[in-house]
Amino acid sequence: MAKQYEIPIGAQHISLLEPLHFKFTTENEKIVKTDANVYYVHRGIEQACCSKFKFRQVSFVVGRVCGLCSISHTTAYSQVAEKLVKIEVPKRAKYLRMLVIELDRIHSHLLCLSHVAENSGFEALFMKTMQYREFSMELLEAVCGNRIQYDFSIVGGVARDLKPQVAQSIIERLKKFVPQLDELMDIYKNNWTLSLKNKGAGAITKEDAMRLNVVGPFARAAGLAVDVRNETEDLLPWKEVGYEMITETSGDVYARNIVRLRELYVSIRIIENIINGLPETPLITETKAFPDGEATVRLEAPRGELFYYAKGNKTQVLERLKIKAPTFSNVAAMAEAFTGNEYGSVPAIIASYDPCLSCTAR
Amino acid sequence: MKKIETTLTSLKSDIAAFYKQELHHFMVMNAVEVADKIEVQWFFSDYAYLCETTCFFTLIDPAEKIPSIKDIVVSAWVAEAELVDLMNINIENTAKGFVLEPDFESGPLRKKK
Repeated sequence: MAKQYEIPIGAQHISLLEPLHFKFTTENEKIVKTDANVYYVHRGIEQACCSKFKFRQVSFVVGRVCGLCSISHTTAYSQVAEKLVKIEVPKRAKYLRMLVIELDRIHSHLLCLSHVAENSGFEALFMKTMQYREFSMELLEAVCGNRIQYDFSIVGGVARDLKPQVAQSIIERLKKFVPQLDELMDIYKNNWTLSLKNKGAGAITKEDAMRLNVVGPFARAAGLAVDVRNETEDLLPWKEVGYEMITETSGDVYARNIVRLRELYVSIRIIENIINGLPETPLITETKAFPDGEATVRLEAPRGELFYYAKGNKTQVLERLKIKAPTFSNVAAMAEAFTGNEYGSVPAIIASYDPCLSCTAR
Repeated sequence: MKKIETTLTSLKSDIAAFYKQELHHFMVMNAVEVADKIEVQWFFSDYAYLCETTCFFTLIDPAEKIPSIKDIVVSAWVAEAELVDLMNINIENTAKGFVLEPDFESGPLRKKK
């Protein structure tokens, strides 16, 4: 056996975007074992939601769980609260929620792709991807009023309507984005140096993804067809607006890039379909009921399955709120997928997981 | 959501009989305080359209030790470690300190009596 070295990375490190800590045991440059610690930012949000805030205010609090997938949190919470007060949301509100979720997915996937490029040593592609991402941030601001942490979904519906000129602007900006996306797809798919760095790196098999209960693009890149948008229809009608499952098979960093890029084409189609078929209904269902009983909701955030559990007790304040973020489901696989890789591939592999510790630790 | 009541003695056999990794996806564990007891929950969903969420649950005394399901669901160690820290409950072969720093308040999600 070669001499073993232990190399720590994080919680603060130049190649980490989140406060993760990994301890790699290596033989020469090859990783043979990984220990992970992912919690440095516990903020007690669940406790605050069950003690300091009324249930209608909680949707604004959970919007602060994450800056990247804020709309997923506010929508999932609103849906679980709507189950507890037993109301049906107007169809226009459902469509607008899906529109913002897909715009959010575009900016989140492009952010992840840019960081994979950066951590693979391709600075120019990082800058190009971030430049192309900017339009989605501007559109989110136009629709929701904020570039991040949009208080768009509220209990009963949505807080703002889509103005016709904003809808027109979305259609025009998406048309301009399609050739840019084609260009990105060509580079991420065919660039020789990027392929050398990304193909085979951090790979997991479909069986491992199943065994470790992986979710999101991480699972779909390994061939595991798991996507909440494909599994539920009652709360948000994804199939009605053109949802399509995207999977790859190799399960490596390269496949995760390709899954995210292909999903952007689906997101564009969904957004166009939503705008072209936006129902004319009210934006919100009013109720004076208090939450009672318990309910769960699953929603496909950019990183995978987001899960909310809530229990009400017929008062303004919830008895219990539980949030399970997508990265939480991927922690076990994140630690395993390093094994057998070169230490030099670690930054790109971590970026390709697209971890969000702000969500995970809450 | 389909809720299935179990006991600490039958928990592992109940979950082993239910869980097929090609059909089911383990999501998370949760705990809710119910008077002086704690309801511990294990959530699963299907790989299917339309998917159903299944919740196994059991009521325990706070000091009771809960069996680990790591040997049935490999990735469950993350959920077990989180619950031990946040709810201050005992789970077999699960140490504190994964979610919270050692000097952090124990069980911060428990209700203050």
